[in-house]
Amino acid sequence: MRSLYVEGDSRLHRLSPRIKLILLIVVSLALFLTRSPIMLGGAAFAGALLYGSLGMGWREGWLRLRPILLTIAVVALATLMLNTVEEGVVVLLRLTTLMLVAAAVTATTPVGSFIGEISSAARPFERIGLVRADDIGLAVGLVIRFVPEVVSRYEILRQAHRARGLKLRPMTVIVPLTIQTLKSADEIAAAIDARGIRGHKPPSRS
Amino acid sequence: MSTRDLVLSALFAAIIVALGLLPPIMLGFIPVPITAQSMGVMLAGVILGAKRGTIAVLLVLLLAAIGLPVLSGGRGGLAVFAAPTTGFLIGWVFAAFVTGYLSERFVKNSQGAMLQTAGFFAAAVAGGVVVLYAFGISYLAVVSGLGLTKAFVGSMAFIPGDLVKAAVAALAGRAVMVGYPLLPARA
Repeated sequence: MRSLYVEGDSRLHRLSPRIKLILLIVVSLALFLTRSPIMLGGAAFAGALLYGSLGMGWREGWLRLRPILLTIAVVALATLMLNTVEEGVVVLLRLTTLMLVAAAVTATTPVGSFIGEISSAARPFERIGLVRADDIGLAVGLVIRFVPEVVSRYEILRQAHRARGLKLRPMTVIVPLTIQTLKSADEIAAAIDARGIRGHKPPSRS
Repeated sequence: MSTRDLVLSALFAAIIVALGLLPPIMLGFIPVPITAQSMGVMLAGVILGAKRGTIAVLLVLLLAAIGLPVLSGGRGGLAVFAAPTTGFLIGWVFAAFVTGYLSERFVKNSQGAMLQTAGFFAAAVAGGVVVLYAFGISYLAVVSGLGLTKAFVGSMAFIPGDLVKAAVAALAGRAVMVGYPLLPARA
């Protein structure tokens, strides 16, 4: 699974992830404070310039946003027809700008920096015993590691169906796929504990 | 949280991601392919229970937010949270929690197969349809300025499909419980 990060050296690439996330929150709040189509139009234009300046090529940039842009367009069209034209335009410009800025942050921040940022944001909660900050990175790593495994298990199930002349049905796929995958949990957990990855503190209750 | 619970949540998150990558599966009796990812949310609650199911769904959303294309159709990145349908994504978390919580309450080992499946179905509908749509429709109404009524009418087309998914999730949840029980028992 390839991340949506794009190699580059733009100003946005060099900005710290924390500042980018704070800026994203500020931009999204600001977008919902104004209702002026002219100001929102300017913002959308600026967002498009920003997104276009990251050097990922037109095709790639368009393919990434197409499904989201489609839902925005459908909803904006509904608003335009059911309410007023102005409201439809406001919805379209506002959400498109937000999408462009958010996509720009994603394209300029590597996955590792995000995880570092989230872990340090979770530290205060660690002190009150709500989460262990390092578990977040561990869990994310496990998911990325096991997605290909689940897909290849599906492939084996598909071939098993074919060999027996059976059609793929939700029940005959999901049930064995889930049981096979979850059965490996004990082994993986034992391997993690044996290596002391989560520290040697006794595990909390539950 | 024990290491085993953490691993179970992560593995289930991987299953939800994989369900978004796989081609849609045809049901036997209706000619509509079902996209399996949103069913994965109900399955998480039904199979893992409230706590681990919620964490599994949170992990999927976290992966999407940090820039991995884990949502169906290869969507990912912070931009997916800018769509008018973002309320449904946020609702996933609460849907998994409610489905899991109610599954723990409704389904007991002493019950017969029919009753267990019915319990799972009721839990999946309450979480994966009622709670999910409450979040999705409220968010859509506010962001689009359409108002609750129009947002509700616009979302109704998807409810029959989600009821079918709840039924499949209930059947699958019971089959997994028989084969490899994980659901924490609750008095």
